[in-house]
Amino acid sequence: MNNLLKIKKFVATIIIMMANIDLVSGQNYPSDFLRSTGKIYSVALVIAIIFIGIVFFLFRLDNKLTKLENHIKNEQ
Amino acid sequence: MAGVIIFIVVLIGGMCVPLRPGVTSSQPANAKNGDTLFMNVIGYNTHFSTAKNQRAWLKLDSIHAIAAKDFFGKNENEAVITFYIPKDLPTSEKVKPLTLIIDNEIDGAFAQPNALFLTIKDNPTLSSSFWAQADLTNLSVASGMKFPYRNILNETIRNTFFHVALWFAMFILLIAGLYHAIMYLRTGDYDHDIQSASFNRIAILYGVLGLLTGSVWAKFTWNTFWTTDVKLNMTAIAMLIYLAYLVLRGSSADHDRRAKLAASYTIFAFIALIPLVFVIPRMTDSLHPGNGGNPALGGEDLDHTLRLFFYPSIIALSLLGTWMASLLIRYERLKEKIFLKS
Repeated sequence: MNNLLKIKKFVATIIIMMANIDLVSGQNYPSDFLRSTGKIYSVALVIAIIFIGIVFFLFRLDNKLTKLENHIKNEQ
Repeated sequence: MAGVIIFIVVLIGGMCVPLRPGVTSSQPANAKNGDTLFMNVIGYNTHFSTAKNQRAWLKLDSIHAIAAKDFFGKNENEAVITFYIPKDLPTSEKVKPLTLIIDNEIDGAFAQPNALFLTIKDNPTLSSSFWAQADLTNLSVASGMKFPYRNILNETIRNTFFHVALWFAMFILLIAGLYHAIMYLRTGDYDHDIQSASFNRIAILYGVLGLLTGSVWAKFTWNTFWTTDVKLNMTAIAMLIYLAYLVLRGSSADHDRRAKLAASYTIFAFIALIPLVFVIPRMTDSLHPGNGGNPALGGEDLDHTLRLFFYPSIIALSLLGTWMASLLIRYERLKEKIFLKS
C-alpha cells in the first residue's frame, strides 16, 4: 500500500514536471524563443528525457528491492 | 562504470563542440537578370564583421558563378552582400536556382543551396563572359573541430548522439535478449529466462525513451510531435509487440509455461522487428535520413566529427543498458532464491 502511494506520488511529480516543461517551451515565450538559440533546447530536453527514464528505472528497482527486504524481514 | 564515463565524455563533447558556420536565411529570394541585388544574409556562428577577407559568390553551375561587388558586415551574423547580375546568361532556362557561397579566413567556405531563384527576362543573349570570371579558388578552411551545420537541424544535430544511439543500443540489448531466449529453449536453464527478460525490459525502456526523444526532436524540426512517417508508425508497432511481451510475462503464474512462452515470443517479436524497422521504411519515402534509399551512415549527415561522438555514445548506452539489465538479473536471482526457500 505504501509503495503504491509512492508510485502515485512519483507519477504525479513527473506529470507536473512535464507540464512545466511544456509551459516553458510553448506558451510563456514567443515561439521564436525555441529557435533563437539554434534549437539547443531540444537537445537539453532529449537529455532530460533519457535522464528521467533511467531514474524511473532505478526508482522501480528500489521499490522492488524494498519489497524483497520486507519479505525477508517477515520471514525471520 | 566505463559506460557512464564514456557517456559523460559524449555529453560534454557533444554539447561543447561548436557548429560550423552556416546561412540561416537570405533575402530576397528572387531576382531578375540585369538587377543590382542587395542581399541580406543572416548567418549562424559566422564572423561577418571580424573576418577581414570576406568573399561571396552566386554559383549557377559547376563552371559559372559571379562574384559579389561588395560585402558589408553589419555585425557578426548579419551582412548585406551586393551582386550585379549580368543581363547575359550562359543558359536559356526560364528560372534558375543559384547557390550562395561565402568565404572568409575565420569561418572557411560555406554555402546556401537555392539561396536565390533567378527569373530570366527580355530574351538575353547566350553568353558566359560575365559568369566565367569568378575566381572560386583558394577557399579558406576553418580550423578546429566543428559539427556540420544543416539547415532546419541547426543545433539539434547533437541529438544524433542521444536519440539515434539509443535505438542502436536498444537493438544490441534486444540481440542479447534473443540470445538468452534461444539458450533457454535449448537448455531449459531458468537463469537464461531471467537474463532474457531483463535484457528485453531494458531494451523496451530504451525504445520508449527513443520514441519520446524522437518526438521532441520532431517537434523542433518537423514541427509536430508525431508525423505519419512510416518509420515512426512501424517502430510504434514494433514497440507495441514488445509491450505485449511484458503483458505476456505478467499473465501466467506457472513458471515453466511462462518461461517457454516468453522465450518463443521473444524470437517472434525480434523477427517481426526487422522488417518493421529496417525493411518497410526503406521501401517508401520517409523523413528519416537514409530511408527510401540507402542507409544514412555516410556523406555529410554523419561526418567524421559526429562519428567521433556517435560511436562512443552507442557503446556507452549499450554498456549502461547492460549494467541496468545486470541489476535486474541480480534482483531476479535473489528473488528466485528466497521464494524457492519458502
